[in-house]
Amino acid sequence: MIIIGEKINGTIPAVKEAIEKRDAAFIAERAVKQAEAGAYFIDICASTAPEYEIETLKWLMAVVQDSTDTPLCIDSPNPRVIEAVFKYANKPGMLNSISEEGDKCEVLLPLMAGNSWEVVGLTCDNNGIPCDLETKLAITRSMVEKAAKYDIIPDRIHIDPCVMALSTENNSLLNFAAEIKAIKELYPTIHVTGAISNISFGLPVRPLLNKTAMAFAIEAGMDSAVMDPLNRDLMGTIFATYALMGQDKHCRKYSKAFRAGNIGSLSK
Amino acid sequence: MLKIQEVKTLVETGKAKKIQAIVQEALDAGCPAQEILNAMIDSMGVVGDKFSAGEIFVPEMLIAAKSMAKGVEILKPVMSGDTSSSLGTCIIGTVAGDLHDIGKNLVSMMIESAGFDLVDLGVDVPAQRFVDAVNENKNVVLVACSGLLTTTMPALKEAVQTIKAALPEMKVIVGGAPVTPDYAAEIGADGYAPDAGSAGVKAKELVN
Repeated sequence: MIIIGEKINGTIPAVKEAIEKRDAAFIAERAVKQAEAGAYFIDICASTAPEYEIETLKWLMAVVQDSTDTPLCIDSPNPRVIEAVFKYANKPGMLNSISEEGDKCEVLLPLMAGNSWEVVGLTCDNNGIPCDLETKLAITRSMVEKAAKYDIIPDRIHIDPCVMALSTENNSLLNFAAEIKAIKELYPTIHVTGAISNISFGLPVRPLLNKTAMAFAIEAGMDSAVMDPLNRDLMGTIFATYALMGQDKHCRKYSKAFRAGNIGSLSK
Repeated sequence: MLKIQEVKTLVETGKAKKIQAIVQEALDAGCPAQEILNAMIDSMGVVGDKFSAGEIFVPEMLIAAKSMAKGVEILKPVMSGDTSSSLGTCIIGTVAGDLHDIGKNLVSMMIESAGFDLVDLGVDVPAQRFVDAVNENKNVVLVACSGLLTTTMPALKEAVQTIKAALPEMKVIVGGAPVTPDYAAEIGADGYAPDAGSAGVKAKELVN
């Protein structure tokens, strides 16, 4: 499971405050803890007013890169902001994100030519998030074909089929699983990612739904996730699911995660 | 009267399959259609309050609204031509650059259940499109704009200001995760609601 750590995002009130105060120690601690817990990428999203977004991201990048070697995932809904701060990354990481909305592909894919940067590709376009599998697959195909023009192979793309809320779409998990399977069938080496916690919007005891959905999504083939690696319950579910699916030989990783204190209840 | 109480219970508990027969029975028993409609609107007010208070959840609110819509289907032929029951038309949409419509759809449902006619412009609606929609539709009394992303808050401001510049008397209500009551006031909106449950209540309050 490729974990994209989601805890440095300006929509989180404590992070917003740290950004406003330029509290580098707070941000650095979040970066280090996520890296230690197993994040492959540290997502950074400023979520400020557009006029401050570039300088905020630049500052976040400097703080995170000073505190950990884990690569960045540069996150902005505006591709030109990502383009502007791209040069401040000291090593390849991940761009979050492209989609068929506006000219995101046209702005961001050229940055990824000739290097090992990876990218999140959302299956949405100018009409929003499609409800049907066929349109999501068509958007995936289009993004992969555009990427190929810059010699970006599917292995560097993480497709996010945009999981919907169970509270408003009764088949949201079944649809998500079908989308994961269909995308993997189309491009076997592509990654499928998602923010699984969206599924529990509007319902009580969200963690219970989140970890159950995670197990089903892994079974369907999701191999990348935008999540909080410090969430022991969710991390535990991931290790347990791989072990149960026979993909963790002799349950070594599961046992190791327990000994490292990363899963299971915290001892007092 | 008893039948009306039954209709209310069926709305509040979201019994979409049973409600049509009971609404019909209420009509047959001599209850005025308007009274049945008002009862259902009241029930949706109760549902909205319970949702805002965290007592019920999104799917329960959805089925309540669906039940009301089913009941309204029976009332419509009886009430056709009578527009006096409507609170007026509400135009709704997410602002330019924002594709997130789950919250907006819930708000649409609650505003409609509060007794408004609804025109949903969908997602990524340019500021001017809201103004055009007011002019293209009859009896518009309220415009509702939503934005989920911090980065689309300027678009929300632009939408409100464009509407207010063209239609100074038009009431505008705003909402979305990053929006606060202070921000709503700062950009010149008349109202703000933190969730779908209270959006219906606030919408009514604004036009009364």
